[in-house]
Amino acid sequence: MKNQLKVLRAMRDWSQADLGERLDVSRQAVNAIETGKYDPSLPLAFKIARLFGRPIEEIFDDEFSGGKDDR
Amino acid sequence: MMNSAEAKMTDSDDMAESNGRPLMWIILSALGIVMTAGAIAGYMAQHNAQGGGPLGMSGIVAMSVFSAIIAGLSYFVWINSKKFRASGDMLTNREKLNRNIILGCCFSGGVIGLLLAFYDINIVGSEPSALAVFSDSPIAPAIAILLAFFWAVIMPVVAWFWHKRAIDEQEASAYRDGGYYAAYTYLIGAPTWWMLWRGGIAPEPNGPAIFMIFALLWSAVWYWKKYH
Repeated sequence: MKNQLKVLRAMRDWSQADLGERLDVSRQAVNAIETGKYDPSLPLAFKIARLFGRPIEEIFDDEFSGGKDDR
Repeated sequence: MMNSAEAKMTDSDDMAESNGRPLMWIILSALGIVMTAGAIAGYMAQHNAQGGGPLGMSGIVAMSVFSAIIAGLSYFVWINSKKFRASGDMLTNREKLNRNIILGCCFSGGVIGLLLAFYDINIVGSEPSALAVFSDSPIAPAIAILLAFFWAVIMPVVAWFWHKRAIDEQEASAYRDGGYYAAYTYLIGAPTWWMLWRGGIAPEPNGPAIFMIFALLWSAVWYWKKYH
């Protein structure tokens, strides 16, 4: 899953370890999320959204959000 | 020109795997040292069984090679320990706790393995071998109870603490993936070996060997998923 985590982190001048400390996860976890190798759980995604003060869908792109709404 | 935010981000990204590789090389090098020490013990035992005395030219060459291997691996451990310690400055508190638990377990396991190998060779009288640490020869009941206590009581407490306090969800996911690979390998491999043995095609299934394959595969997948 693509995401804006790296950009948001850079805007705050945080290292991966800084962000990891704030989210209570490891630096590897931050790196894995940023590079799209690991998709965070819903609780962690909410935590990230709250930390950056943005909605989840602004940070994470499930690659379907640009298509038709099938509701 | 790169601003400070980008510079910090890039530095951090470049270092993302930096404490995984040194850890892997430290563990593999330490295993290599133990194996080489076992090979030296085996060589010397064979030499003594043939009458002992001063080593000939071939013996000196063999010992020089073994010594060079141990020296090289020790240097490698030292270099990677420095890298590992340096990467510690960037670790979160959770990662530091995680690292300390893993290193503590590796150290305890190494010490127990070496003591068991020593017991096996010097007390039981088994033939020295590079694989002495994996021996399944009989041991004294008191030692068996002590080791079983360590494995069945201490290990679960450490594992519980590790899962609750030291690892995060990404590592838990990597650990689960390792468990899947190991479990399926066991479910497929163990009965296959057993059936081939019954058909007289393979040697008798070996419990410790199956356990080691299971544990090593689990660890390898965990490592790969966590650091790559």
